[in-house]
Amino acid sequence: MYKEMAASENIPQFCKSRYENNFGDVMIVGGGISGIQAALDLGAAGFKVYFIEKSPTIGGKMAHLDKTFPTNDCSMCIESPKFVECKRHPNIELLTYAQVESVMGEAGDFTVKVAKKARYVDESKCTGCTVCVEYCPVMYPDPFNQHISRNKAIHIYFSQAIPLVTYIDESCLYLKEGKCRICEGVCKTNAIDFAQTPETIEIHVGAIILAPGIEAFDPRYREEYHYGEYANVVTALDYERLLCATGPYEGEILRTSDKKHPHNIAWIQCTGSRHQLEGCNSYCSAVCCTYTQKQVILTKDHDADAKCTIFHNDIRSYGKDFERFYQRTEKLPGIRFIRSFTSIVKEDPLTKNITLRYSTNGNGVKEEEFDMVVLSVGLAPPADVKTFADVFGIELTRHGFCVTSPSNPLETTRPGIFASGAFQGPMDIPESVLSASGAASLCGEILSYRRGKLSKPRAYPPERDVSQEEPRIGVYVCHCGANIGRIVNVPETVEYSKTLPNVVHVEENLFICSTEAAAMLAKDIQEKGLNRVVVAACTPRTHEPLFRDTLREAGINPYYYDMANIREHCSWVHSKEKEAATKKAKDIIRMSAARTCHLEPLREFDLPVHKAVIVVGGGISGMISALSMANQRHEVHLIEKEKQLGGLARRLRATLEGLDVRKYLSDLIEKVYRHPLVHVYMDATITEVTGYVGNFVTKIKSDRGVANIKHGAAVVATGADVHRPTEYFFEQDERILTQLDLEENIFSKEERIFDAKNIVMIQCIGSRCEERNYCSRICRSQSVKNALKLKEINPAMNIYIFFRDMRTYGIKEDYYREASDRGVRFIRYDPTDKPVVARGRLEDGRTVLKVTATEHLLGTKIEIDADIIALAAAIIPSARSQEVAKLFKLAIGPDGFYQEAHVKLRPVDFAAEGVYLCGMAHYPKLISESISQAYGAAGRALTLLSNDTVVASGSVCAVNKKMCIGCGACAPACTYGAVQLQETKRGKTASVIPVLCKGCGLCNSKCPTGAIQLKHYTDEEIASQILAGLNHNVA
Amino acid sequence: MTSPIELNDLYCEFKNQILETVPAANLDMCLTCGTCIGGCPASEQLNMDPRKLIRMVLLGMDEEVKKSEWAWVCTMCARCYWECPMKIDIPKLVYGIRAGWPREERPKGILGSCDNHIRAGNAMGVPTEDFVWTVEDVAKEIRETDHRFKDLMVTVDRKGAKIALNQNSREPVTEPDELGPLWKILNAVGADWTYPSVMWAGENYCLFLADDEGWRYILEEFVYHIDNHLGCELVVNTECGHSFFAIYEGLRKFKIPHKFEFTTIVSLYARWIREGKLKVNTNWNQDLKIKFTVQDPCNLVRKTLREEAAEDLRFVVRSLVGAENLIDMVPHGTNNYCCGGGGGALQAGFSEQRRTYGRIKYDQIMKTEAKYVVVPCHNCHGQLEDICKYYGGDYHVVHIWTIMCLSMDMLGENERTYLGPDLSDIGL
Repeated sequence: MYKEMAASENIPQFCKSRYENNFGDVMIVGGGISGIQAALDLGAAGFKVYFIEKSPTIGGKMAHLDKTFPTNDCSMCIESPKFVECKRHPNIELLTYAQVESVMGEAGDFTVKVAKKARYVDESKCTGCTVCVEYCPVMYPDPFNQHISRNKAIHIYFSQAIPLVTYIDESCLYLKEGKCRICEGVCKTNAIDFAQTPETIEIHVGAIILAPGIEAFDPRYREEYHYGEYANVVTALDYERLLCATGPYEGEILRTSDKKHPHNIAWIQCTGSRHQLEGCNSYCSAVCCTYTQKQVILTKDHDADAKCTIFHNDIRSYGKDFERFYQRTEKLPGIRFIRSFTSIVKEDPLTKNITLRYSTNGNGVKEEEFDMVVLSVGLAPPADVKTFADVFGIELTRHGFCVTSPSNPLETTRPGIFASGAFQGPMDIPESVLSASGAASLCGEILSYRRGKLSKPRAYPPERDVSQEEPRIGVYVCHCGANIGRIVNVPETVEYSKTLPNVVHVEENLFICSTEAAAMLAKDIQEKGLNRVVVAACTPRTHEPLFRDTLREAGINPYYYDMANIREHCSWVHSKEKEAATKKAKDIIRMSAARTCHLEPLREFDLPVHKAVIVVGGGISGMISALSMANQRHEVHLIEKEKQLGGLARRLRATLEGLDVRKYLSDLIEKVYRHPLVHVYMDATITEVTGYVGNFVTKIKSDRGVANIKHGAAVVATGADVHRPTEYFFEQDERILTQLDLEENIFSKEERIFDAKNIVMIQCIGSRCEERNYCSRICRSQSVKNALKLKEINPAMNIYIFFRDMRTYGIKEDYYREASDRGVRFIRYDPTDKPVVARGRLEDGRTVLKVTATEHLLGTKIEIDADIIALAAAIIPSARSQEVAKLFKLAIGPDGFYQEAHVKLRPVDFAAEGVYLCGMAHYPKLISESISQAYGAAGRALTLLSNDTVVASGSVCAVNKKMCIGCGACAPACTYGAVQLQETKRGKTASVIPVLCKGCGLCNSKCPTGAIQLKHYTDEEIASQILAGLNHNVA
Repeated sequence: MTSPIELNDLYCEFKNQILETVPAANLDMCLTCGTCIGGCPASEQLNMDPRKLIRMVLLGMDEEVKKSEWAWVCTMCARCYWECPMKIDIPKLVYGIRAGWPREERPKGILGSCDNHIRAGNAMGVPTEDFVWTVEDVAKEIRETDHRFKDLMVTVDRKGAKIALNQNSREPVTEPDELGPLWKILNAVGADWTYPSVMWAGENYCLFLADDEGWRYILEEFVYHIDNHLGCELVVNTECGHSFFAIYEGLRKFKIPHKFEFTTIVSLYARWIREGKLKVNTNWNQDLKIKFTVQDPCNLVRKTLREEAAEDLRFVVRSLVGAENLIDMVPHGTNNYCCGGGGGALQAGFSEQRRTYGRIKYDQIMKTEAKYVVVPCHNCHGQLEDICKYYGGDYHVVHIWTIMCLSMDMLGENERTYLGPDLSDIGL
């Protein structure tokens, strides 16, 4: 079909003729956060997506979590707007409760058979009213709540589910015993359909993204955990549900045995991970250390006096901001981190408390009783992963994850099928998200020729003009699960809101961002004639787009909306003062309602998008990103400050997995040079960046002279540098090297390295210290890699690695184990008792480096005469990153690395629109991770570049000509060049070019007469808000 | 360990030596996580624990390791191995350390028992004639004093018998009255059995001495005798843990060809009860409600037959005392703690350490509030009695055969040494 289509002259018609026949561009299999991101990116980039999920709703594991580390954002709150977006997206065709049965064909032309399970509910008829649920007589353990609480045989999977329709479980009485059918009788829309049978659909797509995600390890495989036997031994996923407001006990942490609050809780790390035992996984699950810390912090939020004990081995806080998060947890009162695994000894038959037995260092073996034990279970591939792989004709690793190409972690063994998220191996949410954007970019590369052929624009109803109507405000107060509701007295706030002027309708909701609630809001606007809406909930940063869109769907201007933030500004900061918080919530709502009366309808602008893009930084990340975009027919300007491409990778020879970096790099550079759409600028500096999303102009000086480049988007891949150690005689003694130097020396076959008898490696040089309070993430892999290489060359060589925590996260644990097995000795040191190096002379005249350290287990000193010492020097932010940040107006985090727009869900976006981030500029990472992120940045950039226009906010400045005195104070204040002074009959007056204005308001503050105003934030609007805050009723 | 350890010549000879004989011991893989210590009752004794031991081995501290007396305090119960995330075979390491001691310097008690066994076929060193005489004498007495057993057959070296049963030497040598109950049980099911005269003893101290040669010699002699002189199709190990392990593991380890099947009497008890051949009942305890607990011998459960043996053992005891009267220790089964009497500890001479080791077991038993501990193992039996006395406990330790005979009204007056006054005249 691919060939047939390519041959067809009229591709649009060809495609259209097949539109009704299940013809799409990309199929995404797996509806977790990774699949969702891929679907949204592809949809935005002009592709039609078939989105397949085996459970009754999209959402995946993230939907089961209470909060996400390290920001402790409410998981559902940040994920559910994306559910709604998927549902509303015209290019996403969602098939839930469905599984792929077979895949025929090849890249560009796959025929996929999808089996839709019978849910016994007609999705097109069900309104999600849940009357059937009320009447259903069957209670069974609720899978969403980890089977702790119960639900009905017919129910909605969770209240934010997409699609928001019920399904009937196999516990249904009618399905089991042929009786009941009560639901059928009570359903007003006749949506119940017991005659439904599984249905097979044939779908044609050009590419496939696999995002089946993970399952939590089941501790029942190992009886010593006593899971399922002792009531108060729970898994971390169970605990996540216990913490959650939508959980089995409405956000109260209770013991199932007696429904009492546990006060003394223990976590056991590495449950099912890093275990060679049968039924366990030998790899590290990469997320458990940090999620446990999150659970500890949340536990303390629930119960300030709670005592939390974490039994652990290495603490693997290797990710961005993880180290600080770890320190934050450690500093809480009543928290103990104990470096020992433990044995679950017994359950007290009366109290059901659990006794653990563990070793201490120096204090012997202890037995201690806990109210609850949480097993920090690891991540495992889905149970049916083998069948899954067979269906798609792809290979799996021995751990059951996807085999990916050594040079591209997103490519499976079958061309045209890509892997996204934790199918590649254990990873956290941001990595799942960025790999999804990356997989989307790879799909774009092979399907670029048909982009936009099947996609449809979003359609809205005509807008109702309400500008002449009296304000009729609807106020919606959100509990945000327990985030707000536990602190602020919501019902009281609702009653209060009803008394406010112009407020005609008030409601409360557990989650106002749920699909159901958003639909209700739209309905209220139409039925109750609302023309203004205040949502008292969380932050506009994450949720404003969703609600504005809801207003548009209901046919009113989206700027008739205001968000009263009673979470970040109230319940979260006043969690100890419930009454005062309730009072403040009322104040915030009153202020918001007052402002809302003055809101005006605003028009948004369609700005043209320049199709070229610049990439700043010519390392691996920059080049990958550049090629991926160029392969999608965009002109790319690649800007490199050095005289050659390659970045830090030039100093690497191999990866841990065995990729030949030199070869890879030279191939990559060749591809870059050969690509007709990639223009390389060497020895380049950026001198100026002007413009805005879709329309940047960047001035550069380079080997090609001075150039002004017009571009629609930018990818920042400025990389990182290696810290020059100041400790251990570095640069004073040539036997002391960094790991990078050592690698070069190994490959250049330096004799002194090959002949060395004792090589000592010291980890964390310049990382995890006061100056650089972060982990450099890649040092363990780097050291293990070099150690393995050295052992391969000379097995008799003694290699000692001094470390604080071995952080060979994920599958890299295999290599740590291999190094141990080959006799590399790993010796833990304490930061207060670092290894000491002294230069000395032996009796035979040889000079040696004497390393003295404490063997922490034996408590005795050890001495090694080292021939070579390799220091694992920190990765530090690139010296130029500050400069580039200023030019593009980018944020920089506390450690000097760029700050992404949202740690979890926008890991490659900047808050500044049209600029994207990848590689080590974001945080230290391995080559494979950089590649993944580089594709991710390309994928995100394509969501912008694929479109001809980008919508700019209607909230821009305007000048009241009558009031303008032409003083000219405003124009220089504008960093976007949007304010201009023009000669008129009345002398000079200022005017604003709306497409250039970013709505920052800087000019407003300079204007002495108040002539220049920012729409949506006019003096009138803000003053009314302030006055209402002072309790003056101005409405 | 105060002087610094020099790591310049990291030969780790000892480690390599162990790995040569046990390649799957995974010694290099230690994550120092401490799981082993949490489950090890020998931890901290003599300032040593399994993690430290591995660490010393890995750092090449061979001399200290080889000298460590801790190897004789550890009972090689394998609880560490069972839980170790990296599957490091610590018991085999300890065995290797024991084997590294000059033979004559190894604990006298164990050494003597091993030598006796090699020489005389049993650890106590009694001549085979004495064993045969004692057996016949006791059997005769039972036949004469209790007419129900007038046909009781006890034979030694009866060719063509289906079952060969070994006999721990403790009974014939020090407490002949304890021989009877098992015979009565075998008689009740009509078992076709005999004792072998060669290496007849249900024990093997050469295993504890880490004397491979001795262990192997004893076993080979035994196997040869059974296969070539008696032709039994089934060899049954008596109520004893380490002897079971010595044969079970020895056959595998030394790859000794044999024609018989090998099992434990505990499995047979369970089978006979299930088949209705053993008419046990719990009536006697219906009103008394005397509580029992069960000790799982490490060598019979965790190290060999695992859940299967743990379940059989419980099934048997439940059938004898009533399910509601069996109070299990926590933990039990494969996760059970060793009593501290295994690995030759009772003969090794480290009594203080052995008793400290046993404290966990003592507390476990006391927590059940059971009056009786049923245990199919002689070393457990000895240790449990000793720590009971030492720590001032009030429980009794019994073999299964005692309670089984009691439940079938077959227990003679002289066979009640281990029963308390509450059971001293039940069924008489």
